[in-house]
Amino acid sequence: MPEDAPARRPFVVLRGLGRGESVTGWALVSPAVVLIGVFGLLPVLMSLQLSFQKSDLLTPETPWVGLENYRKLADDPVFVEAIKHTIIYTALFVPGTMLVGLFVAAALNRSVRFISVYRTAAYITMAVSTISQGIIFLWLTDRDYGLVNAALNAVGAPSQPFLASPSQALYVIVAMTIWGWTGFSVIVYLAALQGVPAELHEAAAIDGASAATRFRTITVPLLGPANLFLVVWLTINALQLFDEVYATTRGGPLRATTVIVYYLWDRAFVQFDAGYAAAMAYALFVVILVITAVQFRLARKHVHTS
Amino acid sequence: MALERLNLTVSDGEFLILVGPSGCGKSTALRLTAGLDKPTSGEIRIGGTVVNGLAPGQRDIAMVFQNYALYPHMSVYRNLAYGLRQRRTPRAEIERRVRETAELLQISELLDRKPGQLSGGQRQRVAMGRALVRKPQAFLLDEPLSNLDAKLRNQVRGDLKRLHRELPITSIYVTHDQVEAMTLGDRLCVMSKGEVQQIGTTDDIYNRPANTFVAAFMGSPPMNLVPAVIRSGILHIGGAAVTAVASPNGPVTVGVRPEHLQLHSAYADGMVPARVDFVEPLGSHVLVTALVDVRDDSLPGTAAQTRVIVQAPAGNDWESGTRIGLVMPPERTYFFDAETGDARRSRERISL
Amino acid sequence: MTKLQLSDVAAAPVPTLAHSDAPPAPPARRRRWLPFSPWHLVLIPLTFLLIVPLLWMLVTSLETEGEANRFPPVLLPERPRFENYSEAWAAAPFGHFFLNSALVTLVVLLSNLVVCSLAGYAFARIRFLGRGALFVTLMATLMVPFQVTMIPVFLIVKWFGDNVWAGLGIDHIGALMLPNLATAFGIFFLRQFFQTVPVELEEAARVDGTSRLGVLFKIVLPLSLPALSTLAALTVLTSWNDFLWPLIVITSHDQMTIPLGLSYFQGAHRVKWPLLMAANVMSLLPMLLVFVGAQRYFVQSVASTGLKG
Repeated sequence: MPEDAPARRPFVVLRGLGRGESVTGWALVSPAVVLIGVFGLLPVLMSLQLSFQKSDLLTPETPWVGLENYRKLADDPVFVEAIKHTIIYTALFVPGTMLVGLFVAAALNRSVRFISVYRTAAYITMAVSTISQGIIFLWLTDRDYGLVNAALNAVGAPSQPFLASPSQALYVIVAMTIWGWTGFSVIVYLAALQGVPAELHEAAAIDGASAATRFRTITVPLLGPANLFLVVWLTINALQLFDEVYATTRGGPLRATTVIVYYLWDRAFVQFDAGYAAAMAYALFVVILVITAVQFRLARKHVHTS
Repeated sequence: MALERLNLTVSDGEFLILVGPSGCGKSTALRLTAGLDKPTSGEIRIGGTVVNGLAPGQRDIAMVFQNYALYPHMSVYRNLAYGLRQRRTPRAEIERRVRETAELLQISELLDRKPGQLSGGQRQRVAMGRALVRKPQAFLLDEPLSNLDAKLRNQVRGDLKRLHRELPITSIYVTHDQVEAMTLGDRLCVMSKGEVQQIGTTDDIYNRPANTFVAAFMGSPPMNLVPAVIRSGILHIGGAAVTAVASPNGPVTVGVRPEHLQLHSAYADGMVPARVDFVEPLGSHVLVTALVDVRDDSLPGTAAQTRVIVQAPAGNDWESGTRIGLVMPPERTYFFDAETGDARRSRERISL
Repeated sequence: MTKLQLSDVAAAPVPTLAHSDAPPAPPARRRRWLPFSPWHLVLIPLTFLLIVPLLWMLVTSLETEGEANRFPPVLLPERPRFENYSEAWAAAPFGHFFLNSALVTLVVLLSNLVVCSLAGYAFARIRFLGRGALFVTLMATLMVPFQVTMIPVFLIVKWFGDNVWAGLGIDHIGALMLPNLATAFGIFFLRQFFQTVPVELEEAARVDGTSRLGVLFKIVLPLSLPALSTLAALTVLTSWNDFLWPLIVITSHDQMTIPLGLSYFQGAHRVKWPLLMAANVMSLLPMLLVFVGAQRYFVQSVASTGLKG
């Protein structure tokens, strides 16, 4: 063999990226496939099946009821209310979080001393659990002893019932969740702002643009991808609002803060009407998909991606 | 300090090149002129006005960046028009100037495209166009060719030269490439470690270098610099007496360019003895790298040998180790102070 | 006639801070008025406003009930009442809560790292039959909101509890781990990263004799520590703060995780604000500390998904 050496046989570096690797490939993915298959894909099918049945999650008998669950949805006033509340919430929460995040990120996008401390303080709301948020804000907005009412009184405004009021509760939850998501929003925007090359700012400055003009004509348009990401991500999360409602108002007062997922949970796990809840969930799923698809379509037309 | 006391004057319409290795301060000088950084001391004037307190946008200068810095979300047209719009130029005027500039740079068909859809060479021309369209008082270019491949670079170099002939705007051009510097500039300013080493035309820099840095930096292959000693009026290299020189005794650095050094296959008295290390054929000529003994008792601490490159006619070949002789022509031999590296003011004539 | 003139100009080297807002022309004048940048005057109140809820929580947790139930509120307690913390700890099985949260998070973290690395590598570097279709199918699960799957997963977990092992079933922490042992996001994230590791490194290792899978463990994974850390940070945060699923599955106090435990505590001690705040601080502290310590990875996790969409 030594006599054969290089001149005779080409040195094969990689063998077979063909079917020989299939066994290895499948072996490596099988744990993931099993886990995600059982807990991710199978439930989608089960949910569909459940939506055509009547189930209380305990008894094994689940009679088939066809489309009756879906029909009930249309006549359910609480469902309609829940949708209304969710839409109002989403319409306020998403732009609110983006604006606050952009504003804070723009302020943080500079290199003064201690900037990392300021940034950490801005990010930190990300680590606060939803329940903790709820408890803190219940206390902050307490009608009788809350800090917010103290501040209002100090400037001459009357105390507000906030979370105890059917007309105000939802908006307080909007404010609370904007606070909770600011950290996330700031991180996204700060990364996007820093992704704008300094040279572009310099070129624009040489071209005679003021700092404000630069922000408007150079920076903001280049935030397109970040905006898209936030709109999609925040909308999806807004439509699934639950924890913060549970931690504060339990859907009240007088169902003022009942949002979709809260109502769903209530129907499925408190009132044990799982089939109906499944139908509700499925209907929502379709809506979310449509909304997300529309968002992407609009984005492709208007958002610049480099 | 990135820049020590820099004194630089560029005449109206002149194309001045700042050249030097990275970190020498050339980009800093450019950015200070543009107003992107602030000097710790000193004064900068453009067109007679002191601009130290002025924002970049108020200095009536335009800059071409190394990475072009084109606005990625705007079309080429809007990129070109941006500076004019900031100055509230009327729409019709903008249209006219943009189309004129695009015509000049041959990018008229690209006006509707976005930078992401252009090739490197096209982007470079758009970057030039954006600067030209504003008809500024001064033109600042920061290594605008370094991102282009070699072939394109040569071509664009020629375009730049022609362009400057047609539109002689006062320009400062920064590069680390000495070939670019020598071919493009009316005058060159060679810099190193934040200080100016020499300012002059290509001829000045190449044929009358002010110090060893300039001598070695400009020219490829670089000038040979050899430590030597003058004893009793005779130049000694490596202990061997070479020729008589009318220069004070003591250690000295001798410089000769490879294309001026003469190679003789047979060593004779008065030549510099050397041994061939290797030969590199280049088609039109060959480059011979030879080892010269430079050890001398008056020069403690110098290495025993130094490498020297000689240019010889094509077709020749010498075996490694062959003893040869080198001759330094008097009018092409330079003397530099052994300690400071500065050129000795009068070039000493050597008698052979 | 001279056009440009630089006279006696000197300049200090400009530190290249990677990401500074390029302010090309602030006049030097401003520096002389204040010893520090004026931006501090904006940043300090802004960040204070952002963390005021947390600060108020802390202050309240150290007050007595009398002090808390005062209006206008007391801004600082007379004497910090640390006893609130020991009382809160005693009033509910916080020890269990922490332990459960820690266990669940640890298991979920390790499982995700292992399973998603294996799968991510396979999708990134191994050509196998059906790879494309399988990947798309798995990623599709990311589009499905939790409310669709939560009811069936409840039933599935119940089945596990009844037929495999009670510890995996309803009202046991195993049920909290089971559905989260692998996420499609983790696979997506790691696959993307593995693809950026130069193939030449793996090829060189195989030429040197490393086995097909050895390459994953000896070359790719060690180079992927940043991505693994980022995924770890995100997984820990999501797992620790998860509330809805534990709410659905757990009712016994000794099986509760922190968020659920805190909610139960809230129900039991509704208007004892100082006590409640103390419990809240205790519950928040672990994740806050982890966040500050591993901030870099949290930021990376968000920024990287955000900018790649």
